[in-house]
Amino acid sequence: MNDMRLTERKVDSKEIKIEARDVQVFYGDTHAIKDVNVDILDKTVTAFIGPSGCGKSTFLRTLNRMNDTIDICRVEGAINLDGEDIYDKRVDPVQLRAKVGMVFQKPNPFPKSIYDNVAYGPRIHGLAQSKADLDEIVERSLRGAAIWNEVKDRLHAPGTGLSGGQQQRLCIARAVATSPEVLLMDEPCSALDPIATGQVEDLIDELREKFSVVIVTHSMQQAARVSQRTAFFHLGNLVEYGETGQIFTNPTDPRTESYITGRIG
Amino acid sequence: MPALWLAVIVLALAGIGYFIGRARALKSADGDIRLLHSLPSYYGSNVAMLTAVPALLVLIVWTIVQPLVVNMHVAGLIPVSELDEGVNLNLVMSDVRRVAEGLQAAVAQGALSVQAAANIDLGAVDLRAILGSVGVALGSDVTMVTLDAAQQYRGATATGQIAMTVVVLMVALGLMGYTLSKTNKELRARNIVERGVKIALISAAMIAILTTIGIIFSLVFNTIEFFRMYSFSDFFFGTTWAPSFGGGSALGVLPLLWGTLYISLIALAVAVPIGLFAAVYLSEYASRPVRAFAKPLLEILAGIPTIVYGLFALLTVGPLLQRVFGDGGLGWMDAASSVMTAGLVMGIMLIPFVSSLSDDIINSVPQTMRDGSYGLGATRSETIRQVILPAALPGIVGAILLAASRAIGETMIVVLGAGAAARLSLNPFEAMTTVTAKIVSQLTGDADFASPEALVAFSLGMTLFVITLGLNIFALYIVRKYREQYE
Repeated sequence: MNDMRLTERKVDSKEIKIEARDVQVFYGDTHAIKDVNVDILDKTVTAFIGPSGCGKSTFLRTLNRMNDTIDICRVEGAINLDGEDIYDKRVDPVQLRAKVGMVFQKPNPFPKSIYDNVAYGPRIHGLAQSKADLDEIVERSLRGAAIWNEVKDRLHAPGTGLSGGQQQRLCIARAVATSPEVLLMDEPCSALDPIATGQVEDLIDELREKFSVVIVTHSMQQAARVSQRTAFFHLGNLVEYGETGQIFTNPTDPRTESYITGRIG
Repeated sequence: MPALWLAVIVLALAGIGYFIGRARALKSADGDIRLLHSLPSYYGSNVAMLTAVPALLVLIVWTIVQPLVVNMHVAGLIPVSELDEGVNLNLVMSDVRRVAEGLQAAVAQGALSVQAAANIDLGAVDLRAILGSVGVALGSDVTMVTLDAAQQYRGATATGQIAMTVVVLMVALGLMGYTLSKTNKELRARNIVERGVKIALISAAMIAILTTIGIIFSLVFNTIEFFRMYSFSDFFFGTTWAPSFGGGSALGVLPLLWGTLYISLIALAVAVPIGLFAAVYLSEYASRPVRAFAKPLLEILAGIPTIVYGLFALLTVGPLLQRVFGDGGLGWMDAASSVMTAGLVMGIMLIPFVSSLSDDIINSVPQTMRDGSYGLGATRSETIRQVILPAALPGIVGAILLAASRAIGETMIVVLGAGAAARLSLNPFEAMTTVTAKIVSQLTGDADFASPEALVAFSLGMTLFVITLGLNIFALYIVRKYREQYE
């Protein structure tokens, strides 16, 4: 691991975006997440790492209430976005998800044109006032997702016809188009080849200027490359959370050390 | 020997062959299964298969062909001069067969001895009475010619039976011996058995296909026959349907096609929205227990026989509509039978068809699509309208087309609900009729089968067949195209 790069990494912001306190998640009788406390900073890339089944994806999905779509899932504790509890009864999960966007493990473009894929979010949230406005949002999002040059001549071709890496960047553009404040990414590169992965990672670093990004990844190298802060999950517990450089070079918990040196996982 | 007994014997031989073959294979490997090419049971199955299958095939073919051959042989023996004026050879032959069967039955029941049955003197015995006493009634006294032919018939049949027994047993034993002689540890018994299984599966598929082709041919020949007697353009472009069995009928198909399409249209107008909304509810909104309860319940509707729907139309829906739209109400409706009655009830019949197929299709839209949409902050109904339904649309269209071809082919509801008048009209409260209902009415009754009035049923059937076939092919094409999207 490139230690030089890791120590150079500095966190630009100290402002807390999402604050999780004593979060418990249950799937039926299974206690999937136990007592998780974490502060996610604004304009920062936070990586969740840990072995399979450790609950990192589950925890990620509680941050925009995607777990609501699963009947048997139950969340306890408090998750505050800008100081407001997102599990409060008055919060509409639909509006929350417009603020906390999500990119999934497998690219999942809708069976529509590239343009309509990106315009989907702005349309349902009424973000564009005119056709020209919408065109501009679509272009800005596609540029933001570093895919504009590849698709600008075929905006009305189906999004499903793109390559895997392009599809994933299209999905990122789609998420960016609703101007979220936080972008959740659930193993966004696991279905991509190394070149496409590199492109998406560069993109994540750029996105940090505008949003807070939370990324779940299986690849520790990826976590080290893209994130400023890293959280290590194990068996539903948050074991250690801190600066990425510190986690990878000088972990305090013996479990973290075992994992990053490859002894568990 | 009767065919049934022969079949039992062949099967018993196959069973014996199984055990001998298995034992022989084991013996050739000195009891060590690992030295065999295949598992011991494959060697047994190989022997059993080759013993039973060819022999049974011979048996089946022989049983079908023998009566035809004997019939031709005996028919050739009847002198043409003996036929009375206007008497068909086929009628004489059916008499001959009855007498032959009667003699057989008389011998079997002891009314005649074998000897007596072989030498009947028509002057001395009343054959008609004897045969009548064993349950074979004849229309007239037996003539000398008929009796001779019947005796010939019996003789040929008996010879055929013996020959069949010998041939079938020889095939079975011969192949059993041959296969057993080949059975040793080197024989690739598994490959042979697998090939046999494959052939069995292919022939099962072939039967379905050949039957379809057979149906088409039976329609085609009668249709051609009909168009020899009735003008092509009068049939397809005629606007009157007025069959009269005395001749001089007008057999225009347009009123019938109009009735069919009108009723189907109303049925689909009922079934498509209700079925589709039900499918959306079941697949997207319903909780698991509700779904587990409601889906089978909805599918029960599909299991109700259409005649019951017909009764529902006749006894409940028709009178109900008449109370609202009839003389007491709006005055648009003369009788309970109408396009609307049949269309509504047929629509109810089609609801489970549309909903069940659409539900499966909506469920097969990948969960990642829904997640993607929810993750962008879309509500459930936005997700359904803008992502799920467009993704499922080709499949849903396929489901609707399949439902349409069922509506077009439906008969019982029309017979009971729509009336019998062939009419070109736009008023949905008038009685009309469909192609299928008219096929029934043209073929039932005492009509001469060779008249255009009866044969028109086949060309109607052919028209309907072509329409529904086209719809089905179109539907399958769309459904298949849709499948490729996610796989």
